[in-house]
Amino acid sequence: EDQSSHIRYRMEASCLELALEGERLCKLGDYHAGVSFFEAAIQVGTEDLQVLSAVYSQLGNAYFHLHDYAKALEFHRHDLTLTRTIGDQLGEAKASGNLGNTLKALGRFDEAIVCCQRHLDIARDLSDKVGQARAFYNFGNVYHAKGKSVCWTGAEPGDFPEEVVTALKRAADYYDENLAIVRELGDRAAQGRTCGNLGNTHYLLGNFRAAVAFHEQRLLIAKEFGDRAAQRRAYCNLGNAFIFLGEFDVAAEHYKKALQLARQLKDRAVEAQACYSLGNTYTLLHDYERAIDYHLKHLIIAQDLNDRIGEGRACWSLGNAHTALGNHDQAMHFAEKHLEICKETGDRSGELTARM
Amino acid sequence: DHQSTAVPSSQVLHSDVIEMEPETMETKSLTDYFRKMHMDAVMTTC
Repeated sequence: EDQSSHIRYRMEASCLELALEGERLCKLGDYHAGVSFFEAAIQVGTEDLQVLSAVYSQLGNAYFHLHDYAKALEFHRHDLTLTRTIGDQLGEAKASGNLGNTLKALGRFDEAIVCCQRHLDIARDLSDKVGQARAFYNFGNVYHAKGKSVCWTGAEPGDFPEEVVTALKRAADYYDENLAIVRELGDRAAQGRTCGNLGNTHYLLGNFRAAVAFHEQRLLIAKEFGDRAAQRRAYCNLGNAFIFLGEFDVAAEHYKKALQLARQLKDRAVEAQACYSLGNTYTLLHDYERAIDYHLKHLIIAQDLNDRIGEGRACWSLGNAHTALGNHDQAMHFAEKHLEICKETGDRSGELTARM
Repeated sequence: DHQSTAVPSSQVLHSDVIEMEPETMETKSLTDYFRKMHMDAVMTTC
């Protein structure tokens, strides 16, 4: 009896140590290592079902951050089953929220909506305001993604089919509900996130002034927290909105700020995106020398990152800018490069454009 | 005329990327769970 309880005690302690190390690693952003520790903790096993629920949940979240949504789904499902079995309502609400986010990432929007509703229902039953706000935010994200997934290609913001507009309006309504609660709670970080996504939703609906207002609020809150990644996102989104307002100079200033922050954050992929946006903006301003300068910067980064699609876009844009300046040899050089890359990447529409 | 040979604006605008805010994942912290258990044990002892 004594020996058996000693073994059980050692197992519990060992499982806990492994899980706590997994938690520590995930907090540091090392999800790969975190996953290994959590998996090992599960192998050892525990009789404490609250610990098991936390391990399932954190494993699901680690896989989510690693973009392995199939594995994330598996563990959030285990967590949901477990919390339901033991009658842990708060745990079930959290598992439902995580499952909803994962199903959204997998494009399974209708199932995601069911999970969001469960999250919301439990939060209401428990009079949990924070939980309700988070469920509304998740709902908004699902409808936003659903809207974008339907008939997305070919149309411009403000000119989408009815089905898309309906989904985007529902997203805006849910974000509004969230915003009312998080303002009441004084949760500035949550307000920042919601303002950013509301800005994006209004942008797609063609409400560009409203989009600017929300992105400016998002920027202000990001500055309060010194959150440079969020500031970069806000500047980029502001640039996009000012393009549609026809205020290209203002857009360029915002994209430049986004570029500066991308460099500070040492994020080469978003630096390339900012250069590309700046190249396009200077094309709209008919300042082709500057457009070429930014498209070349984009091209160099795309080559460094071995991003053939980005490289193809840069070549296509450079071909156009050189054509506009009457540099026909250069234009031909980039057009040929573009055609070569389109053939390689199997981009049929790009290939047709290049041949023209 | 530079304008006539430039890239049509609609094609330019399609290239822009919308930057979404991150999802909020719910957390179940073991550290918090054990801190609470420890506090409960201390309270019971007192």
